[in-house]
Amino acid sequence: MRILRYCRLYREFLLQRFKILMEYRINFLIGAASTLVLQAASLLTVWVVMRQVPNLKGWTFDEILLIYGLVTLARSIPHMFADNLWTMGGQYIRTGGFDRFLVRPINPLFHLLADRFCHDGLGNFLVGAVLVAKSSAAVGIHWTPFLAVYLIAAVISGAAIFFALQLMTSVSAFWIMESVPVTQMVFNLHEFARYPLTIYPKVVSTLLTWVIPFGFASFYPACFLLGRPAGILPWLGPITAAILLAVSYRVWLFGLRHYASTGS
Amino acid sequence: MPVIEVVNLSKKFRTNRKEPGIAGAVKALFRPVVQETAAVDGVRFTVEPGEVVGYIGVNGAGKSTTIKMLTGILEPTAGMVRVLGRDPHRQRVDNAREIGVVFGQRSQLWWDLAFIESLNLISKIYEIDPGRYRELLDQFCGMLDLGDLLRVPIRSMSLGQKMRAELTAALIHEPRIVYLDEPTIGLDLIVKERIREFIREQNKRNGTTVFLTTHDLGDIEKLCRRVIIIDAGRIIYDGPLTTIQERFGRYRTITFETAGFAATISLPPGVETAPQNPEDRKLILKFDRTKTTASKVASAVMDQIDVVDFSLAEPDLSSVVRQIYNGALKENVPP
Amino acid sequence: MIRRIWTKMRALAAFAGMIPKLFLAYRLWVWMDFFVRIFSLTVFYYFWNAVYAGGGDIRGLSLAQTLNYILLAQILSPLVQSRLPMVMGRLVREGDVGIELLRPVDFQSRWYAECMGVSATMIVIQIPLVIIACVCFEMHLPSDPRVWAVFAVTVWLGQAVVFLFDWMFSCLVFYTTEVWGLWVLREGVAAFFSGALVPLQFMPEWLERICRAMPFAQALYVPVSILSGIAPVSDAPRLWLIQIAWIVGLGILSRTFFGVAIRKVTVQGG
Ligand SMILES: Nc1ncnc2c1ncn2[C@@H]1O[C@H](COP(=O)(O)OP(=O)(O)OP(=O)(O)O)[C@@H](O)[C@H]1O
Ligand SMILES: [Mg+2]
Repeated sequence: MRILRYCRLYREFLLQRFKILMEYRINFLIGAASTLVLQAASLLTVWVVMRQVPNLKGWTFDEILLIYGLVTLARSIPHMFADNLWTMGGQYIRTGGFDRFLVRPINPLFHLLADRFCHDGLGNFLVGAVLVAKSSAAVGIHWTPFLAVYLIAAVISGAAIFFALQLMTSVSAFWIMESVPVTQMVFNLHEFARYPLTIYPKVVSTLLTWVIPFGFASFYPACFLLGRPAGILPWLGPITAAILLAVSYRVWLFGLRHYASTGS
Repeated sequence: MPVIEVVNLSKKFRTNRKEPGIAGAVKALFRPVVQETAAVDGVRFTVEPGEVVGYIGVNGAGKSTTIKMLTGILEPTAGMVRVLGRDPHRQRVDNAREIGVVFGQRSQLWWDLAFIESLNLISKIYEIDPGRYRELLDQFCGMLDLGDLLRVPIRSMSLGQKMRAELTAALIHEPRIVYLDEPTIGLDLIVKERIREFIREQNKRNGTTVFLTTHDLGDIEKLCRRVIIIDAGRIIYDGPLTTIQERFGRYRTITFETAGFAATISLPPGVETAPQNPEDRKLILKFDRTKTTASKVASAVMDQIDVVDFSLAEPDLSSVVRQIYNGALKENVPP
Repeated sequence: MIRRIWTKMRALAAFAGMIPKLFLAYRLWVWMDFFVRIFSLTVFYYFWNAVYAGGGDIRGLSLAQTLNYILLAQILSPLVQSRLPMVMGRLVREGDVGIELLRPVDFQSRWYAECMGVSATMIVIQIPLVIIACVCFEMHLPSDPRVWAVFAVTVWLGQAVVFLFDWMFSCLVFYTTEVWGLWVLREGVAAFFSGALVPLQFMPEWLERICRAMPFAQALYVPVSILSGIAPVSDAPRLWLIQIAWIVGLGILSRTFFGVAIRKVTVQGG
C-alpha cells in the first residue's frame, strides 16, 4: 500500500523532471554525451593496452569487458536514481534547502532522491548493457533463463551495494556540510573492480570483498557467468547488498538527527 | 487543549571556529576548534487553537530556530515540544500533514517547474482530494491574484510573486497550523497588505492557528493579538499586544503649542527636549514615565510659558519595541 | 614603464598567492584527493604489472619505464585539469563577468596568474604522493639537474597551452547553461588524450596522431616523458618550439573567441 503510493509519487516526480529536461534540451544532450566520453576514455585505455598482450593474468580482453560492463551497469542505476546524494551537501544542506524535505509528509530520503532523476546515468546504463551483451557473445556464454535471472539479480545487488555505500558516506554532509570528499574516497575504490580481482595482492581483494564489497558488483558474478571457480562468493551478492542497505539506512537516520539546518 | 505546547525548550549549536591566515588553516587541518552557542535557551509557551501569535526579537534571537524545532526540522537539545499532541521530530511525517511552513528567506518550490506543476506535485504529496484541490486553487487564485502566475516557473518570479506562490503552496493542503518565518520580508506595501489579508482570512475562515515571525511590526499590528518576544534565546515577554504598549512605553512625548517663542525653561527631572524646529511655535518634550507623569510635566511647563494647546502622543509600537530590544524591558520587568 | 610592469606583476602575484589558502580551507577535500589518488596509483601499479606479467618489453618500453611514466603521469595529472569552465560558468550565470572586466588588470592575464598559482600549488601538494610512489611502487626520479630544468620549462609552457585552450573552451559557457556536463566532457577527453592513462607509444598510429593534434599532451605527456626518461634531454629545443607554436596559435584564437562570446553578454545586458 505504502510502496504503491511511493511508486505513484515517483512517477509524478519523474514526469515533472522530464518536463524540465525537455526545456533544456541541449543540456540533456551534453549530459548524455559527457558520460559517454568518460566511458570511451577508459574503454579506449583498456583496448589500447590489451591489444599489446594476449591476456591479463589469464583474463582475455572480452572477459575483462564483461567485468567492466557489469560494474558499469550496476553503477549506472544509482547514478540515475540517487545522484542527488552527491550534491546533497552543497545544494541542500549548506543552503538549508534540506528543510523542505523535512516539512513534507513523505520520507525525506525518498523526497531527496525523487527530486532529481539524473539522465546522465542513462548513457552509462546503455554502455554497460552493450558491453555485457557484446562481451558475453564474444566469450560464448550460452544464455539460459536461469543465467538471465542471475544476471539481473547480480546487477541489482551491485546497484544496491553502490547505493548503500553512497548513502552511508553522504551522511557526513550532516556534520560537515559536504559529502563529496568522503563519498568519493569510498566510491572511487570501485575502479579496482573494473579488473579481475586476481591481479591484485590479497589485501586489496579482501578489502573489495569484505569491507567495501564492490567485488560482488562485477568480479564474482563475472566468474560465475564465465564458469570460473570462485567458491560460494558469486552467491553472496544479494545478502551482502541487503545487509549493507539495512546498515546504511540506519546510518542515514542517525545522520538525519544531526541535521542542523542553517541560521536565518 | 493547546495546539502547541513548549516546555523548557533549548537548542545548542556546535560550530567550528576558523582562525584567519594560513597558520590557522593548517591548524584546523589537524585540530578544529569547536564552539557551542545556545540559540534557544529554556523557552516555554502554549498556543491555543485559532490564535495568531507574533514571535518577535532581534536578529539572531532564536526565532527561526524555534520554528524549526516546532516543525520537526531540528531535534531539540533539551526540553519538550508537543504539536497537536505529537512530538514533531519523532513523528515528523504525521506532524507534517497538519502543518504548513513558509520560510521567507528561501523557496520550498521547485525552481525550474511552472508554479502550477509544483502545486500539482504538492497536491499529490499531501494526497489532497482532487475536487477539493481545484476548489481551493480557485479560491486562492482569487485572493492572492495568482491567475497569470500559474504558468511561470518559480525561478523567473519576482520576490512578491514568489512569496504569494509560497503561501499558496504552504496552505493548499489546509493545515491546522501555519508557521510563517518572515513572510513579508522585502515586499512592497500592496503585496504586504494582500498577504496579511489572506492570512487573516485563513485564520478566520478555517480557524487556522498562525505562528508568525517578522521584523515588520505592521504585520504584528494587523494580525496578532498576542506577542511573544524572544531575546538571546529566552522569552522576555508573552502577552497581549495592547499590554506592551501600555506597560512598556517608558518614554512618551508631549507637544505644546506656545503663544510666543519658547524661551529656555527649567524642566523637572526625567524630561528632555526632543529635537524641534525653532521656527515652529512648538515645544516637544520626551519624558520617562517611571520618573514623572504627564500632568506634572504639563503643569511645570504651563507655569513657565503661555500654552495654546498641548497633545500627548500614544506610544507607537515600533518605538516601544525598539526600547524593549534595547533593554528597557529588562530594567522594567517586575521580579 | 618598468614600474608599471612591476605593479602589474605585484597585482597578479597577489591573485596567485590566494590559491594555497583556498586549498587549505577545504581540508577534507585535500585528504580526499590524497586518498583517491593513492587508490588510482595502486590500481595502475597492479594493472600494469599484470600487463607485463608475460615478461619482455612492449612497444620498446620496459615495465620499469612504463610504470615510471604512468605513476608520474597520474601524479601530475592535475596539470591538465582545470576549473576554468566552471568558474567562467558561474561568472556568466551570476552576471559578474561585467564586473570582472571592469577591474584594472587584464582579465585573461589575471586568470592566467590564478591558474599558474593553482598548478604550482598542485605540484607542491603532490610531494607526499611522489614519496609514496617512490617507496611503495618503485618509482625512480632522475638525479640529473638538467632533466629537472628541462622538465620545469616544459611544464610551464605546457600549462600555458592548456590554459589558453581552456580559455577558448570556456567561451562555450556563454552559450549553454550546462556547464557541469561540458566540464565532465573536457576532463574525460583531457584524461585520455593527455597520456595520463596510457603512454602515447602504446596507441595505434591513428590515435597517437589525434593525441598530438590536441593540446593536452603538451602539458602532461611531454613533461612526463622528459622526467621519466622516455624522452632524452636533447629533445628539449624541439619540444619547446612545438609548445611555443601552440601558445602563439591558441593565444590568438582564445582572444578572438572571447571577444566574440563576450559580445553576447553585452548585447543581452548581462
Ligand atoms: N545551523 C546553525 N548552526 C550554527 N548556528 C546556528 C545555526 N542556526 C542558527 N544558529 C545561531 O543561532 C542563533 C539564532 O539563530 P536564528 O536563526 O534562530 O535567529 P533568528 O531569530 O531567526 O534571527 P533573524 O531575525 O536574523 O532571522 C544565531 O546566533 C545563529 O548564529
Ligand atoms: Mg530567522
